[in-house]
Formats: sequence, C-alpha cells, structure tokens
Amino acid sequence: MIEALRKKAEELLKNKTVSVVFGYGEGSTPERTRPVFITKPEEVNKLTWNKYCVYNLTTYLKRQETRKLGKPAIVVKGCDARTLIVLMKESQIKREDVYILGVSCDGVGDPLAEKCKACDVHTPRIYDDLIGEKGENKELPFDERYAELDEYENLSEKEKWEFWQKQFEKCIKCYACSNICPLCFCDRCIVEKNQPQWIDPSAHARGNLSWNVTRAYHLAGRCINCEECQRVCPVDIPLNLLNKKLAKEAEKNFNYRPGYNIDDELAMSTYNEKDNQDFVR
Amino acid sequence: MSNETTFEPRIVAFLCNWCTYAGADLAGTGRKQYQANVRIIKLPCTGGIDPLFLIKAFERGADGILVSGCHPGDCHYNSGNYHARRRWNVFKPLLEFCGINPDRIQFSWISAAEGGKWVETINSVIDAVRVLGPFEGYQKINAIGPEGPGEGFAPSSDTTGCECK
Amino acid sequence: MGKKVGVFVCHCGTNISATVDVEKVAEEAKKKYPGVSYATTYKYMCSDPGQKLLRDKIKEEGLTGVVVAACSPKMHERTFRNAAVKTGLNPYQVEVSNIREQCSWVHQDKAVGTEKSIDLVRMMTEKTRKDTSLDAIKVPVTKRALVIGGGIAGIQAALDIADGGNEVILVEKDASIGGHMAQLSETFPTLDCSQCILTPRMVEVAQHENIKLYTWSQVESVGGYIGNFDVKIRKKARAVDLDLCTGCSSCWQVCPSKKIKSEFDTELGNRTAIYIPFPQAIPSKPVIDKEHCLLYRDARKKNIPPEDSKVCRKCYDVCPIAPVKAIDYAQEDEIVEVKVGAIVVATGYKELPNNVYGEYGKGKYQDVITGLQFERLASASGPTEGEIRRPSDGKEPEIIVFIQCVGSRDPAKGCSYCSKTCCMYTAKHAMLYKHKVHHGHAFVFYIDIRCAGKNYEEFSLRAIEEEGATYLRGRVSRIYKKGEKLIVLGADTLTGSQVEIEADMVVLASAMKAQDDAEVVARTLSIQYDKDRFFSELHPKLRPVESSNAGIFLAGACQGPKDIPETVAQASGAAAKVMALLSSDELEREPVVAKVDRLPPPVFSTCIGCFYCQRVCPYGAIEQEDIKARDGSVIKTVARVNEGLCQGCGLCAATCRSKSVELAGFSDEQVYAEINSVEFN
Repeated sequence: MIEALRKKAEELLKNKTVSVVFGYGEGSTPERTRPVFITKPEEVNKLTWNKYCVYNLTTYLKRQETRKLGKPAIVVKGCDARTLIVLMKESQIKREDVYILGVSCDGVGDPLAEKCKACDVHTPRIYDDLIGEKGENKELPFDERYAELDEYENLSEKEKWEFWQKQFEKCIKCYACSNICPLCFCDRCIVEKNQPQWIDPSAHARGNLSWNVTRAYHLAGRCINCEECQRVCPVDIPLNLLNKKLAKEAEKNFNYRPGYNIDDELAMSTYNEKDNQDFVR
Repeated sequence: MSNETTFEPRIVAFLCNWCTYAGADLAGTGRKQYQANVRIIKLPCTGGIDPLFLIKAFERGADGILVSGCHPGDCHYNSGNYHARRRWNVFKPLLEFCGINPDRIQFSWISAAEGGKWVETINSVIDAVRVLGPFEGYQKINAIGPEGPGEGFAPSSDTTGCECK
Repeated sequence: MGKKVGVFVCHCGTNISATVDVEKVAEEAKKKYPGVSYATTYKYMCSDPGQKLLRDKIKEEGLTGVVVAACSPKMHERTFRNAAVKTGLNPYQVEVSNIREQCSWVHQDKAVGTEKSIDLVRMMTEKTRKDTSLDAIKVPVTKRALVIGGGIAGIQAALDIADGGNEVILVEKDASIGGHMAQLSETFPTLDCSQCILTPRMVEVAQHENIKLYTWSQVESVGGYIGNFDVKIRKKARAVDLDLCTGCSSCWQVCPSKKIKSEFDTELGNRTAIYIPFPQAIPSKPVIDKEHCLLYRDARKKNIPPEDSKVCRKCYDVCPIAPVKAIDYAQEDEIVEVKVGAIVVATGYKELPNNVYGEYGKGKYQDVITGLQFERLASASGPTEGEIRRPSDGKEPEIIVFIQCVGSRDPAKGCSYCSKTCCMYTAKHAMLYKHKVHHGHAFVFYIDIRCAGKNYEEFSLRAIEEEGATYLRGRVSRIYKKGEKLIVLGADTLTGSQVEIEADMVVLASAMKAQDDAEVVARTLSIQYDKDRFFSELHPKLRPVESSNAGIFLAGACQGPKDIPETVAQASGAAAKVMALLSSDELEREPVVAKVDRLPPPVFSTCIGCFYCQRVCPYGAIEQEDIKARDGSVIKTVARVNEGLCQGCGLCAATCRSKSVELAGFSDEQVYAEINSVEFN
C-alpha cells in the first residue's frame, strides 16, 4: 500500500497534476507519524501509511502556510474525507482544487482510537484515487455509532454539571482545539471579537463554559468526529463528547450526517417544516 | 439579590417583534396580570437570535430563559422561526448534556393575538424556575471570574476598541 | 466622547404613574446610569407639549441619544423618532422603553412595577448608548395595486384606486366577481335590492380602463416588500378562452349535466357543468366545472388528456365562435407575474354551515336553512324567483322560526365573537317573509338585539311593531321533525316559560367565519391573524386598515364580521391608504438591514465565505463578492448584503459563526449592551 501511495504521489508531482502532497511521514519513534508536505517527486519516499496515521490532514487546507504551496493532493482516510465534503459544501475548497488520495483504513491508533470503534467509512466516500482495497461500507446502526455517549447521557443533571465543570475548569484557553480543527476556519474566531466581547477570553470558569459550549455549537451539523480537538487538548478535556452529542442530535432530528452524502443540504443552513418541536410550548 | 427564603427567579425573555412581543403588549392592553420576574429583549425574529445571546444571559445571572416566536408557518420573514427551531434542536440538548436543567431554557410559539398564552407561558416558566431554585451552578462559576461576580450591572464602555487582529 | 443620553419618563396620564413611581425611575436613571445626562418625567410624552419638551431638551442639553419610557414602541416609537428628527438628531438614536404594557398595566404592586421599570429603562439606555445613526433607505414605488377578492370590498377598493388614476389588478378566486353581496336579496335598513346596487359597480370594474381583472384565479405567492411586491397569480384553467367567448349562452343551454348543486344558490338550485354562476356575472363568460363535467370525468377515468375524450363535446360543438372555438378543453393553468406597490386584501368570510349543531338536526333537516340560503329564497334571481318556498317540498311555509346567534357568541363552536350582522338581517328576513307571505308568522329567538347603526334600531323595531314578528328572548334547545313539521323547543326567558313551536321552516342566523384558507392567505402575505383567523389590523383603533405587513391593507369581512356599509367604508379607507402610498415616487424604508463587515487590507473582511448566510436568507439578499487584487486576481470571496432586498430579520447575523454580519438597529453591540445590563432587583 505504501508503495502504491508513493508511486501515485510521484506520478502526480511529476505530471504536475498537483504541486504538493499532504501525507503522513515517519515520526521520531515507530509509534509516531508526522505530517509531511512533499513538493518534489524524489521525496515521495518520505510518505508512509500505518496504524499510527491518526491525524486528519485536511486541517492543512485552511492554513495560509500550506495553502501557499499550491494545489495539493491529500491523503485521507474515510473519516477525513468527510471533512473534505463539508469543506466543499461550505465553499472553503473547490473539488477541482484538491486531489484526493483516499486510503482504505481498518482503524488507527494503538490502542484503537475511539473514532474507529464504530467506523462505517473504512473506504472514503469520495476520492480521486483509492490506495488499498475497496471495502464495503455498511452503515452502522445509529445507536452503535453514538454508544460512547450513553454513559454520559445517563448521568444525573447534577453529575453532568459537575463532570463538565471539572473538565472546563482545566481549560487554559490555548485554542489548540480550534487551531487543529479543519472546520474551525474562520479568519476571526468569535472569541477574538472584542466589540463586543461575547466570550471572555481569559481562562476562568465562566468564560470557559461559554467558550467550550460555543465552540461545540459552532460545529453542530458540521463536525465529522475526527477527534483531533480532543487529541491535541493539553489538559485532556473530552471535547469530542460535546461534538458527538451534537452530531447525534443533528442526525436524530434532521436525519443528517455531515460529510456523508455530498448532495445533502448542510443541516444548519436549511430546515424542514416538520422538524421536531416537542420541546416548544 | 436572592437568598433561600425569598428566591425570585430571574428570567430573560427573547421575543420576536412581530408575534410574542405584540402578544405581551396585548396582555398589557388587556390588563392581564403576571409575575414581574421577566425582562424582555425584543428582536426582529427568533431567527436572529444567536445562542450566544442566551449564554450571555446566563452569564449575566439569569435563572431561566424563554425564547418565543411565531407559530410555524407564520413567520413574518417566511422561514426565520424554522431556522431558529433547528438551532434550538441542537443547542438545548447541548446545554442539557452539560447539566443545565431543561426548564431553565424554554421555547414557545406565541402569536400577536395570544396575550393569554403569553401570560400562561411566562408564569409557568417563572414557576418552573422557582421550583428549581437559583441557578447556583452558574452563579458559582460567575463568582470566580476575574472581574468578580457576573451579576450586577456593568455598564459598557464608551471607548471604541480596535478591531485589529 | 461618550454619548449624552436623555431619559424621558411618561406618566401616560395615570396609566403608568398609578402603578410605577415615574419620578423614582427618572431619578435612578440620572443618578446611576452612566451616560445619562438628563432625566425627567412628563404627563403625556406623546402630546404636543410632550414632544416639544423632547425637542427642547435635545437642543438645550445637547443630547445625542434619547430613551422615552412610555407605552409599547409599537405605539409611539415613530412619534418620538420623528420629533427628534426635527432637532437634527438621527431618529435611530431614539429608543422606547416599554414600561406601560410590560410594567404598569401588568403588575399591580407599585414597588415591583417601579423596580422593573428601572431595569427596563437601564437596559434601553445601555442599548441607546450603542445606537448608531442610520439613514433611511429610499426605494422606488411601483405605481400599481393588487386587490385580492372581488366581493364588494374588493370592488370598492379597486374602483377607488383606479379612479385615482392608478393601475389595479383585481384577483377573484371564483368565476365571477360579486362575492356574497351578489347573493343577497334586499339589504338592511333600506331594503334596496342588493344586486340592483351591486351589479352597476361590477360592470364599472369590467369596463374600467385602469382595472385588470383576473377571475377564476388565485394569488400564488407574494415576495418583495412595500412599494415593490412581486406577485404570482395562478389563472386556473377555465376551459374557456375569455378573449374569444362572447357569453352567448349556447354552451350552458346544451350542457347535459343539469343537476349540479349551484354554489351561488347555496345548493338550493341547480346549475350545469359549464356555467356562469349567476345571470349578471362579470365576466359573463362560463367556466367548466371539471369535477362534474362528463368529458373531464371520462378523461380522468381513462387517464387520457381531456381533449381526447369523446364522451360529450356538446358545448364545443355548439360554440358558434369560428374559426377557433372559445371552448378549449386542453387549456392549462397559467402563472402571471406582476409587480405591485401595494396590496388590498379583501378575501371576505365564510358562513358557518348548518350542520354544526346536533340539536338543530346537524344539517339533516332540509327545511332548517342558513341565513344566506334564506337570502337566495327571497331573491328575485334565486331558485324560487323570490317566492318563499321551503326546500323539502316547495310548500309555502306558514310559520318560520328564526334563530339568532347560531355559532356566534358560542365559544364551544369556536366563535366567541358577535357576528354583528345577524340581528339586522334576521329582522330583515322576518320582514321580507311577511311581505311575501302575508298570513305567515315569524318567530325570532334572540339572546340580545344589537342594532347599533344609523337607522338600524328603527328597522328592527319595525319588524316587531309593524310587521308583527314575534321576538322571544331565549335559546332554542332542540329541533326535531314530526311529520311535515319541525318542532322547535326553546325557552322564553322573559316569561320564564318553555316554548314549543310547530314550524314549517327554521332559519339559522349563522356566524360569519374566517375563510377556510385564511391561514394560507395570511402566510402567503406574511400578515398576522387573530385567534378566530380574521386578519389583524395594525392597531385596533388608529390603524384599522393596515395589516402587520407594510404596504398590505385590509378591507371587509376578512378582518372581522361587518355589514355592507362598514365594508365599503373600510375598502375606501384602504384605497385611500394605497393611493397615498402610490402618490410618491420614492419610499423611505427602515434602514434595519444587515451588513457584512469590511476592513482594511490584508483582512478585507472577517467573513470567511462559508455562505451559510446566503443559504438561510429568505430573500436572496446575500450575494458573493470577489475581493480582487490590483492585478484582478481574487483574494477572497465574501458575502455582501443587497440592501434593496434585505428585510432585516437578522437570520444571517445569527447564523454567522464569526459574527461578521450585523443587523443595523440590532447590532451586536446593541444587543450585547441590552443583555449585559440585565440586572434584577
């Protein structure tokens, strides 16, 4: 698979289909990988593929530094490819401006990442080239995909509050979560808006609650649960639980999975006259 | 300020100008009495209400929030309330997931003709929050903020800050 | 420099000051709120001296912002803003704090009301401190009006507007204009013939050079806004070419389907499948009832185009028009798009059907009829040519019982209101009956007799005193059939006795209800309606013909039950409003519109171009703008608001995650200030 990947990358760079390949390279230890940006055909041997390729490389599509490198080919797993669909729907990239090197994936991380436990996109649902075997993506049942939440949803109101307060208290407002997130692409994050300052930027409980709730809400109907926010959080806040909860509500109420079907309308930009309103008086 | 014995809930209501705000006016014209624990903020449409507004109201010490707009199909702007309902459908569960009691954040459809429904609704929101008691959780985190308690009136500054990044 | 805000607290006579300590509200404002440099109270802020006080203090104190604590902004926001303009202050620096509807009228406890008022004034003061000056947006006015509904209200409004020199488009859902008034026999209190006074007006409509009439048509959609509405009208396929047809009547004479219940005759008479609703119809050209026409039925059954059916083509064959016949079975619905500056809604009412009350036979007894049915019986053009004959056997009824308030004032039947016209028309019915059946006897069951109107009281007394109708105060509890008679059981509450009358016929003075599709119409037009689904006027006293949507006016019974003179007066009122609107070339619109921020390079705008705003905008008011470098290359594509289309709902602003879009008048700063100043005492 690695050979096929390198060969394809070399070909794309040689024939100038792309000017850069975003991929995974070997890290400082065997259990690590790091992102690599290959611009020369002779450097394709830096590319690798293994179960440690956890990251979602699509985040580099929003960065000025990597954007400057020209049209990219990007190595994506099935989950990462969903980000691309969202980015296209949200006018952040054009389909023709990115070459998608899909890799089929049996799960990453050691131990297996949470996101892989109920994965039903082993083969990317969008790609220009598929590296590896094309598997059958059988959609997993709703409950199975959101099983991780059960434990937290079943807490009492008080327990929930205390759990999350304990988590949010830790937040140091380093914004690693939003920096890594491929879908947090605003030029100016709402927390940076100081006229007025809706969210207190200093790291204390009040602003932390507002920040974390708002960050999650801004990903409602968008987040594809790559778990990158949670992975990079230096104080280990289980941020993806919030994202996943929103994904669950969006799917339950709007029958929508972000980045799953490219023809679906973005959930938070549309409506259905029959949307749930059981909670409205 | 509230204390255990004489707790009076503090409710902020975000109302659509075309329906519920007018419905509350109608209740007034009809001299229909209701509890005084609510402060109304008028906006053109529920579709224009950013969930940030609701978070801010909690930060400011609200014990409960009501958001109310036009019945489905009756939006002055055709679809504002439908979009609003979408947001509520994800935002309310998110707050509940974080441990905020669902009665503290309520939603209703009240038309300009429904002065009676306004009175019933706001009274029942106030009563529900009275049962829950003060939103101590939020007040506690407010209290440890760097600027001291989030409650109490903090006037906005007159100066124009810079917009640079 | 900070803003200098003046706070003016209105007593509203004692409407506010009785339950709110207005002096304390003003004092607190001056003492405690930053930015408030002046605060006072006044008996009536909306009065001339009140407005003068406002103007004087703006000048004397150099105020740059104003909060008037008074009634709802829906009442006088405009008044105070206009007053401020005269001093040179931008009107959008003036805000109203609603301490009457939200405090003094709903909280009896003065301490509570005062505390809350203090809060509300502070919130509005904080908002005002963030107010920015806004300039009204000028838009051109399309000098054409749309009138929806061709009853007397629509006819009157259309003629008035057209006489004023403006183009009018009149849309009627039925085959002819005329509405309910065309169905009536004589009209109270003068007893002049309804059709005789209506049909000349109908003819005027048809012949008026400024009126374009669309019958058998419905308004499909309305977009745009005051001065510039975009309207789509569906011309339903009539199967008759109106341009070719001369209304010669050959077709409906040969039509073999002759036993179709006539809607115009309230199902007491029959009509053909190709028909005109009544002889004086405008246009006097037929329509094919596809439900009943043999040809269309056959085509539906065989699932073939109607023009291919051979079952019956008598109307086509007999049509004398050549070379192309006026009958066109293949005709399809047509959508007409028009631009208008103003709209009059005159969609009328619906009579409560007679099958609602189980105790009155639930519609089973043929001789229990509604008021409108009696009109047809009494009408010279009706199914009995004006003779009063009961529907079951055509016999002349010797005793008729009239029952008032059927449905009206009965919340159980969904009409808690008084239908206003029934007392009068029942008196008229009793009178007409006595004129036609001299030996007959009319009993009238009533709850109250409400005859407020010029010559109305006299009219109803005449029914009792001169025409000998027997009025019984009480309700009818039951009607049942015994042989050919209807036994009417009721109470006479004045004598305290039970009454049993063997009647030949019973006439129910049925309630006037909103049209079945009132909600659909309201939604199409974005106007409000009340709990009974009648369209809401903007103010119950002072703006009785305006709807909640600017540029859309109300006329007639669609706004609430009313009789002909009232309807006509309201229609003329609506027409006057339309003409005032259409008399100017330009219109000033509230500048409450959204704006996407623009910043100096290299940022240009904080908008990142995800275009959620564009997707949610109900008006297509968001455009994509390419920000280009000098060499023409696109640096960034961002959102831009087309102010002409924006209606100011704020959907875009609330959808924008980076808050790069703001709504003028409800900017982030303003809303933030309002929420941030919430403090409960």
